[in-house]
Amino acid sequence: MDNSFLLSLITFSPLLAILILLLVPKSQITIIKQLGILGTILPLILATMLFVSFDYHQIGMQFYEHASWIQIPLSLMADNQTYYLNIDYEMGVDGISMPLVFMTSIIATLAAVASWNIKKRTKEYFILFHLLLIGMFGVFTAQNLLLFFLFFELTLVPMYFLIGIWGYVDREKAANRFLIYNGIGSAIMLLGFIAMLFVSSLVSPEPTISIWRLVEALTTPGNAFVTNVPESFKFGLFMAFVIAFGIKLPIFPFHSWMLKVHVQAPPAIVMIHSGILLKMGAYGLLRMGIGFFPDVAQKMAVGMAILGLINILYGATLAFVQRDLKMVLAYSSISHMGVILLGFAAMNLFGFQGAMFQVISHGFISALMFFLIGVIWERTGTSQIDELGGLAKSMPFVSGVFLAGGMASLGLPGMSGFISEFFAFLGLFGSHPVLAAIGALGLIVTAVYVLRAIMAATFGPTPTKYQQLADAQPMEVIPIVVLLGFIILIGIYPAMLSNPLQETLKTLVIQVTGIGG
Amino acid sequence: MDTMMQYAWLVPLFPLIAFAIILSFGRQLKEGAAYISILFTGASLLLSLLTFWERFKDGAQDYVFSMTWLKVGDYVIPAGFEINQLNAMMLVIVTTVSLLVQIYSRGYMHGDSRFPVFYQYLALFTFAMLGLVISPNLLQVYIFWELVGACSFLLVGYYFFKPQAKAAAKKAFIVTRIGDVGLFIAICLLFWQTGSFAFEDIFTAVENGKVEPAIITLSAILIFVGAAGKSGQFPLHTWLPDAMEGPTPVSALIHAATMVAAGVYLVAASFPLFIASPEALNVVAYVGGFTAIFAATIGITQRDIKRVLAYSTVSQLGFMMMALGVAGAAGYVAGTFHLMTHAFFKALLFLAAGSVIHAVHTQDVFQMGGLSKRMPITSFVFLIGCLAIAGVPPFSGFWSKEEILAAIFSQGRFDLLIIAMLAAFCTAFYMFRLYYLTFKGEATTEATKKAHESPSTMTLPMLILAVLAIIAGFINLPNNPILGNWLMSGTVGQYIMERYTEEAGHGGVWLQVTAVVISLLGIGLAYLMYGKKSVSSDIISEQVPWLYRLSYRKYYIDEIYDVVFVRSFRGLGHLLSLFDRYVVGGIGFLVGWTARAIGGVNSRLQTGQLQMFGLVVLMGLVILVVSLTTLGGVPYGQ
Repeated sequence: MDNSFLLSLITFSPLLAILILLLVPKSQITIIKQLGILGTILPLILATMLFVSFDYHQIGMQFYEHASWIQIPLSLMADNQTYYLNIDYEMGVDGISMPLVFMTSIIATLAAVASWNIKKRTKEYFILFHLLLIGMFGVFTAQNLLLFFLFFELTLVPMYFLIGIWGYVDREKAANRFLIYNGIGSAIMLLGFIAMLFVSSLVSPEPTISIWRLVEALTTPGNAFVTNVPESFKFGLFMAFVIAFGIKLPIFPFHSWMLKVHVQAPPAIVMIHSGILLKMGAYGLLRMGIGFFPDVAQKMAVGMAILGLINILYGATLAFVQRDLKMVLAYSSISHMGVILLGFAAMNLFGFQGAMFQVISHGFISALMFFLIGVIWERTGTSQIDELGGLAKSMPFVSGVFLAGGMASLGLPGMSGFISEFFAFLGLFGSHPVLAAIGALGLIVTAVYVLRAIMAATFGPTPTKYQQLADAQPMEVIPIVVLLGFIILIGIYPAMLSNPLQETLKTLVIQVTGIGG
Repeated sequence: MDTMMQYAWLVPLFPLIAFAIILSFGRQLKEGAAYISILFTGASLLLSLLTFWERFKDGAQDYVFSMTWLKVGDYVIPAGFEINQLNAMMLVIVTTVSLLVQIYSRGYMHGDSRFPVFYQYLALFTFAMLGLVISPNLLQVYIFWELVGACSFLLVGYYFFKPQAKAAAKKAFIVTRIGDVGLFIAICLLFWQTGSFAFEDIFTAVENGKVEPAIITLSAILIFVGAAGKSGQFPLHTWLPDAMEGPTPVSALIHAATMVAAGVYLVAASFPLFIASPEALNVVAYVGGFTAIFAATIGITQRDIKRVLAYSTVSQLGFMMMALGVAGAAGYVAGTFHLMTHAFFKALLFLAAGSVIHAVHTQDVFQMGGLSKRMPITSFVFLIGCLAIAGVPPFSGFWSKEEILAAIFSQGRFDLLIIAMLAAFCTAFYMFRLYYLTFKGEATTEATKKAHESPSTMTLPMLILAVLAIIAGFINLPNNPILGNWLMSGTVGQYIMERYTEEAGHGGVWLQVTAVVISLLGIGLAYLMYGKKSVSSDIISEQVPWLYRLSYRKYYIDEIYDVVFVRSFRGLGHLLSLFDRYVVGGIGFLVGWTARAIGGVNSRLQTGQLQMFGLVVLMGLVILVVSLTTLGGVPYGQ
């Protein structure tokens, strides 16, 4: 098959489900749910094709699509010639974004399955769900700043409603907090993009907002970008991206919005939120922050490592004292995102690889954990640690997987979490050993809070009211097995992920260490 | 070259297959799961013996197999296995004890509702432990190191519904993880110094002076921190006695014979690194020595039969560390030799204790007594175990302990020698205290009176271990150190021989005599107090009650840790929690409030919010276009 439109197909394939869903009457709840799940199968198949046909020996963008889109004439040129700013429709993936697209398609399908429990306004729910999906695919495939921005915003709007309408008691507050923080993040990002364009048109006769062109321009020695743009300006832009994507990741102290989302949003949406949406922050940071300004990033490495340490230790310490499982996992996410920052801060191949593994690994792990919390909630009506206990007796399968997920999260070898932590730390030990050693304390604290939370829920005597709980149903077993399967597969055979990452990360390392070093 | 050793990877693989089978079909297999696991572990034992024999007979080169697991840039991270002297011996120890424990468990766990799960965990543990042993590089060691820890965690918490088991499992995992982080850091540091995880490469780099001396010391100490966590060395010993909450066969296999010895094994396996740093060796020796005497003094007052054995294990592991720490060829051999004999006699003691617990349903030795008549086999093998650990000739423990004393003596470490002798005295005392309280005297409870001998699935493995506890020492007699010579012929042995040129001296007959006298003194005192009862056993607790309490309450270490680490950390957590809610959250609230004030919308979910949001986006786009048409095209490059 011709793969030349594959990325567009993946990105817009959820539209098909939306169109069909629009035609189905509201009352046909079961059909809507089935369609909602089926609708995610198409992108899943296409993304699998992408994964399989991706050539991991090739450097640079693959499956590149390019079409003229917007042309803006630029008037005030010095030599009186008419130049145009071409904002093209550009899609492409490299080793960083391809795995993210693949992971998104998997988690999306599983989250759709987890949405089976949605009890109201099913039709709207699934339409928004698929809109969100388009946004997520788009963010990872878009190859120019405008397109990226539009897709990025496209994820916010459906999320706002998904949290605000289908969430738990305090959902509206959570939705508002979500929108305000992310709105601010977007505004800063937009300003950054504008500034990029501004700079681009200052130094080049053919201004561009194509991501890869910008990267090329910014990292080629002797290029006007490199020579003419003052350091302070680059620094400012870099910081703007750190903040914009830092809110998304989130970096301390920008995290309070995501706690609310984790607690209030329905489990399926949290799977997506924690599994994929947070990763857009990491992706943006790597692609634009470090990708555009490798020399600045190199200079800011220590700062980034310290931010990472704060995230790791602060998140882990707070996770230890939480009473709600969801809050434990929310703070756990903050802590685990710190590992990504540490990996970035290492500024070497091991660190970058660890960070990218963490992006993927945490995606699967947190999707699994939130799915399980949803399963437990369905039966017990609570996620409060004090009210749970002894679930291993009546729900051995769910409890066993819950523990396995916890082990993955605390970095047990044989599971994906280990690979990511190991490489992130190994990388940082190569560049900042003292900071890395401090961060390694996080490994202990992580074990402490993970075991505390999980064992409180599943170990101990079983209260009478939980004696008769049903273990996982077939519909629930599928997502559990798939997610755990990927967690273990990556843990045992990390090459499946490191192979596609290699060339892209190598290029990045050369850029980071090559200029200004 | 066709060699048995190239199939050694099958040794860990067999139990893994058993694990997979029981995981998939546990419900159908029920108690048949035991046979699957026993069968596959038996195959592993057979293969281990063949491998060992080939390695032993030929004294062949180390066999190393390696393939690419992962490539990171120019670095190849390999996976593979290695067969050398030390781990060929370990393979046999692990498979032997594992097989015997699994046969035993068939009787011990009979009727348990989660029987297949138990065997599933046992099989997984056996796989991981064997995997650890044949790992050729530190990364792989670490991977299996963590896996055995996780299996230990699962098995300690096997009775998940018991709050004590839950707490013990958690503690075991976390305390050992503290040590693991040390190992983790050491691996990273060594990697950046040597560019490799492989033992071989690291040793070569150290030998060639490519590693900074400070890093050698630091990483060796950090590796020892990891080893201390696993092997229950002070101050990371607290988890091991609590781990006795697991089923007793687990205590025998994991917390006596194999996993807890992994720390000792790791130090021995990376010995060339340690001997390059006298400081690191000193740390090993003194921590080991302190642990040996420290745990022994706790062991003399405990009432729980398994806890006495647990403290004994901690103490004996301290002996092994001490031997490795004083180093020299003699220290290396003595440490690993004691690892082997201890594996057999301590597994035996635990299985016998399990047999008693199985019969009387209590672990309090003061509720036992007089069991030698009702449980003659158990009583007999327990006595053998006691004689072996107390160091009475010709039982195995005598030879290995004497070897340790000789090693310490030959290095002129008289401070450690005194510590070792004191600890040996305590060991003999508390073991025979245990023996007399359990098996001699009169039955104190109804359950004890009704006790009867365990079934043959349980007694048979005990008898085999008893034989091993008697004869295992003969492999390394002072005048014919077969094991020692063989170990020294290997690669690691070569490194040691190069550094310690002097002949490994023996203390002579007087040292052996002294060792025996000390043991007999300990046994004699125990006899007088608990056998003949001519000396009041309450003499210490009445005369110096604080001393007794100090020992009985394990020097209050748990309480100290609770205050210093657990509570203070929780306090910090709550403090940060307030900070997070009111300061960080407050900023969020302020932002939200400002946005609302500007946007003029209330907190209800309304499209107003979104409209405002859209406005921001639109404004941005307008700025974008305006900036393009006005600013865009300013002469470039000027």
